[in-house]
Amino acid sequence: MNTETMPVTELNGQAQPPLPPTPQKILRTVFREERLFLILSVFIGIFSGLAVVCFRFAIDWCRIYLLGTGAVLTPARMILAPALAGLVISVLVLHVFPLARGSGVNQTKAALYIYNGTIPPRTAVGKFITAALAIGSGHSLGPEDPSLQIGASLASALGRYMRLSRDRMRLIAPVGAAAGLAAAFNAPISAVLFVIEEVIGRWTAGILGSVVLSAVSSVVVMRWFLGSESLFRIPVVELKRPAELIAYAVLGVVGGLASVAFGLGIAALRPKCRALPQWTQYFQPAVAGAFIGLIGVLGAPQVMGAGYEYIDEAMHGQFTWQFLAILAGLKIVATLLSFVSGTPGGMFAPTLFIGAMLGAAVGGAEHWLLPHFVVSPGTYALVGMGVLFAGFLRAPMTSVFMVLEVSGNYSIVLPVIVANTFAYVISRGLQPVAIFDVLTRQDGLVLPSTEEQREEGILRVEDAMRAVSDPVLDAQVTIEQSLREAEGSEAGDFLVRMNPVGWQVIAKTQLKDSVAEGKGASPLSSILPLEMIPFLHPDHELDTALRYVDRWPLVPVVSRADFRTLEGVITQRGVLDRYREFGEG
Amino acid sequence: MSGLSRLYHEQQQALGARWFGRGVEDLNKRNYSRAVTEFRAALVYSRDDYSYQLNLAQALLGMQRTAEASAYLANLWDREPDDGLVNLELARIAARQGETNAALRYYHNAIYATWSRSQPEDPETARRTARLELADYLLRNNATEQAQAELIALAANLGTDPAERVQAGDYFLRARDYEHALEQYRESLKAKRRYPAALAGAGLAAFELGRYDVAAQYWRSEAAVNPNDTVNAAKLQVAETVIRTDPFRAGLTSVEKGKRVIDAFNATGRRMKFCPANPGLQAKWEKLKPQMTSSALRRNPDLMKEGMEVVFSIEQQSGCGSATPEDEAMVLIARARQGTEP
Repeated sequence: MNTETMPVTELNGQAQPPLPPTPQKILRTVFREERLFLILSVFIGIFSGLAVVCFRFAIDWCRIYLLGTGAVLTPARMILAPALAGLVISVLVLHVFPLARGSGVNQTKAALYIYNGTIPPRTAVGKFITAALAIGSGHSLGPEDPSLQIGASLASALGRYMRLSRDRMRLIAPVGAAAGLAAAFNAPISAVLFVIEEVIGRWTAGILGSVVLSAVSSVVVMRWFLGSESLFRIPVVELKRPAELIAYAVLGVVGGLASVAFGLGIAALRPKCRALPQWTQYFQPAVAGAFIGLIGVLGAPQVMGAGYEYIDEAMHGQFTWQFLAILAGLKIVATLLSFVSGTPGGMFAPTLFIGAMLGAAVGGAEHWLLPHFVVSPGTYALVGMGVLFAGFLRAPMTSVFMVLEVSGNYSIVLPVIVANTFAYVISRGLQPVAIFDVLTRQDGLVLPSTEEQREEGILRVEDAMRAVSDPVLDAQVTIEQSLREAEGSEAGDFLVRMNPVGWQVIAKTQLKDSVAEGKGASPLSSILPLEMIPFLHPDHELDTALRYVDRWPLVPVVSRADFRTLEGVITQRGVLDRYREFGEG
Repeated sequence: MSGLSRLYHEQQQALGARWFGRGVEDLNKRNYSRAVTEFRAALVYSRDDYSYQLNLAQALLGMQRTAEASAYLANLWDREPDDGLVNLELARIAARQGETNAALRYYHNAIYATWSRSQPEDPETARRTARLELADYLLRNNATEQAQAELIALAANLGTDPAERVQAGDYFLRARDYEHALEQYRESLKAKRRYPAALAGAGLAAFELGRYDVAAQYWRSEAAVNPNDTVNAAKLQVAETVIRTDPFRAGLTSVEKGKRVIDAFNATGRRMKFCPANPGLQAKWEKLKPQMTSSALRRNPDLMKEGMEVVFSIEQQSGCGSATPEDEAMVLIARARQGTEP
């Protein structure tokens, strides 16, 4: 652009050329915010995908340089690597990246509900470095939850850069979270469901499109760089006879109990570790790392790190069921140590590991007891992953779809649903507060519990409406006749049925005034306002009624099949009474 | 980003290849336990690598960890159902576990599969090995006819290598298909005239076919090349005895036939002295003894038949002491005699 022809503005008495438009300004001019949000979701996916790829590189490099390149680790490395890495991590977490502690799911949820979608970029950097060090050195944690938080942080930064509105900013962190999780897990559907089920807590069409777009684009990027291999080789899934579902139910029960033990362990030990003197915080990850290394030296190196390769082996019958059961128990201990010590890292991979080992152990034991009944013990490992997901993380829907997505086999749906239901019900019964809510409360935050939201009863209009006992006036008849009808009732306000459709409301006093003014022979419609009053249906949420009941003394509730059929009326008093009764339980 | 990615993948590939190389070395040395560890390490860097998984499966098989090996092989089979080596290994596992249908299916897959990728030797050799293994499996399971069919198909595709022909001949012998066995040995001898294994095999095939003069000829040639072969020397002696003593051989004069019958009859008498036959047969022998003269036999050809039947009965039922070549020869003549008139 020729600067000589540019318009000039006055600023502090000096002629200043106007600032060139910024990219975000141009985009905001061209697109409405909803569309911009969708486009931004794709970019969030791409950037999150790239970040997760780098995160994977970092974890693998840490593993190679800290633990060595071979499949058999030396005892010295097994103990020293996680211990020394733990020391470095604690210094970083305590002095440089204080928000990098923990898994990342709650932080993302807090960004949504408390911080208006803001997650400082420093948190993402901290999470990247400390989680890569922790997982790479053999701490029993996974990369998924940190990836989720890294994605959310990137999304938050992009949103701030684009100066999105507060509403959009709140939603942008979950969009990034889905992208990060999808790339880490190579499973976009599960990531979308998890974020909706656990982070956002509700289904809204507005956010769904963005979450899906970001998840898909991040997976595309991740596969571009890391290949499209699934995390596991899936065994042949067989359900030869429906009676085998009993065996899967047993797995659900065992998985539910294990979930409770795992969850209660974290809930009990985490505050105790935090209550220890401040100086111990420097050593807690190191001590946890040394213990995990010791478990490795004593014969179970499988518990170190994320352990996906061992999940794969468990699915293909490469361990005895007794050893699988031991591995499940040791992994619970190792993850407890890593997590309660404040080492940054995720719970997804350990949950899947424990579930797979437990599943394969239960399947193996059942096969040993009833060889013709339980045909394919490897399938139990796959189902077991879903069981722990449902029981421990309390994401029942995600757990089903995750197993489906990972296995690509629909014949597994029935066993998964059966086992997950048992696990979820047992876990819900024995540990009423879900693990993420426990952690949030321990951190002093009060975030809405998605589980409670899910199970919360919804009040509807039908719960507050009352039957029509007062006369309903007709707009075609005279005012005098209408008054005569109204006089027979104690009520002060009456509904008026309009012709051909529609409703109005009129007060008895207004009818009296009109008759006194000599308008008694006029039709009732002549004194009614032109604007119709709104009507409701019995299935409407009661919240909807709140929009109307303060403006109109009566709101008609009509049938969906015939809008002229009155089902009842709703009043402000009725609505408030119903809410009070609901609140009192 | 792509530079970082290249660096990462190059490192992963190099580490994978390094551990794979070590694994292959240990696998070749039959150090299966180390090989398993090394292949597992290689798979950490390239989880989906076909060769790594295949070699790990082979190492696991070496350690008799069949279930684990099967899991890897089944996975490889899902990826490439046409891979010959994977099918062959699965066939071996199925055969070991007694799953005959699966074993046959995998063996046939292996025979008609692609062998270029996973096998160091050439595809034809690999297919032949697979078919021979299948034939061996069928023979061990007494499915002789199926084995013969496989061997005929194998023989049709054999080249001129004398060792391969001998191997095929040996399998035909096991399948009791002596004609095809003899044919294979002869083909082998065409390529290598004084090949001891082929001469010995041809001798045995001809012997089983009752062609004792042909057998003797092969065994004599074999004895010339391999004088230390005592087993075939003993068989040669039996074959020569059959040739020398069989009264039913074509082209003998009636005098010579009579002489052989009398010799056989007397030999049986001598045998009965230290190895008594049942009393009925002994009485029969005693009754015929005075009639066994050259002139009587010339006059009455039925007597020759009757005398030899007593001889065969006594030879076949008496079982004491080690059989002399003469006894063995007489049993063979008796078997060949069924349906043959002197």
